[in-house]
Amino acid sequence: MKGEAELIGDSLLLRRMIAGDEEAFTVLYRRRHPSIYRFALHMSGNVAVAEDVTQEVFMTLIRDAKRFDPERGTLGGFLFGIARNHLRRRWEQERHSLPLPADADELDSLLSASAGPGKNGLSNGNGNGRGPFLLSRDEYTSLETVGRVRHAVATLPANYREVVILCELEEMSYEDAASALDCPVGTVRSRLHRARALLVEKLHDSQPVRRASAVGE
Amino acid sequence: MKEEADFMDCVEFKEIYHDLDRPGTEAFRFRERALAHAESCACCGSLLTDGEALDFALGNLSQHNAGREAPPRVEAALLREFQALKAARSRRRVREQIASLGVAAAILLAIGLGVQHRITSRASVGVESAKLMPDSSAVPAENGAATSQQDEDEYAAEFVPVPYADDPAALEGGAIVRVTLPRSALPSFGLPITESDGSDSVFADLVVSEDGTPQAIRLVSDADPNLNF
Repeated sequence: MKGEAELIGDSLLLRRMIAGDEEAFTVLYRRRHPSIYRFALHMSGNVAVAEDVTQEVFMTLIRDAKRFDPERGTLGGFLFGIARNHLRRRWEQERHSLPLPADADELDSLLSASAGPGKNGLSNGNGNGRGPFLLSRDEYTSLETVGRVRHAVATLPANYREVVILCELEEMSYEDAASALDCPVGTVRSRLHRARALLVEKLHDSQPVRRASAVGE
Repeated sequence: MKEEADFMDCVEFKEIYHDLDRPGTEAFRFRERALAHAESCACCGSLLTDGEALDFALGNLSQHNAGREAPPRVEAALLREFQALKAARSRRRVREQIASLGVAAAILLAIGLGVQHRITSRASVGVESAKLMPDSSAVPAENGAATSQQDEDEYAAEFVPVPYADDPAALEGGAIVRVTLPRSALPSFGLPITESDGSDSVFADLVVSEDGTPQAIRLVSDADPNLNF
């Protein structure tokens, strides 16, 4: 059975939290933290960093909740904005130019498994043409494809990656994403279009190895 | 004409095809025309296929990650921080309240002391005046001595018995007479000559016995609360 706090909006929960209501904070955290965690995970490609960033975002909320202005956007957008700033600060400190893909071990094992002969080596059928990078429904849902897509997202430039994560993976509207990223809606849209084009390129580029292995069979 | 209006070229298609499945966007309104164009254009058809495949792939990635969240230890750490901060704020609020009460108490004390001082000084003036008024036999001193009520800006020392005082009862019930004395006369009343402030005379109150003999003296000033006569 849901508690009363779980049915009320973010703004009211936030006000209660500021007044010292621990339950309100817990509900708010449980409601909002998964998307922040996933955003940090996709952006950093590192589970430990994602945990740290999630913790820092909500620490900031606990200590300085009055910074949130509902007239400037949603609480979700505000939290993504904090997460983004924490990530950027972290990269500046650690000079991470290119983050590791998420769950590197999992991804490496998937890629090496797929590179082996006879292992799920699918061809697009036209040999040299550039057909769709995904062929069958099985391939859409395979772990390998998920790993490839995750890798492709993780290797996008940061400003493209964040719009893909927010607008595609977290299904945020352009307006909310613009609020979180502190940029115009048009910028979000154009970055997303460019990012999607880059992703298609990357996913096409990740096919030749498999095609070669299929040919060598 | 209608066909022309519904026509979409490749440039238009490429501008909007990423948003065809995004409700609320302008592209979504032109979805049918874009799909019609993709059917008749192999290049745009290929773009559309890639876009749909990408949507599906990203959707799968999103679904694959849907259950991912921070471990419980993050929530526990945040709750500890929340409780610590709440306790610290509560302590600070109590400290602020105590400080406010302290300041209020100090102000009230100062006001009380001030009021008490006023009441005390008025009462003593009243008593002295009461003692002075019925005693019509009190004789003013020669050189312009005058009785007077102490006004509020006047400062006076304690009465000091003069060396030749012979009637201790007069200290309790004697009359008080305001006189002006030459500064050089102070030693005769048992007082030292202090530095002159430019005048050669000083005001003094004398307690006189019934026979008119001075029994005690105090110096009076209307300027210096430290009584530096």
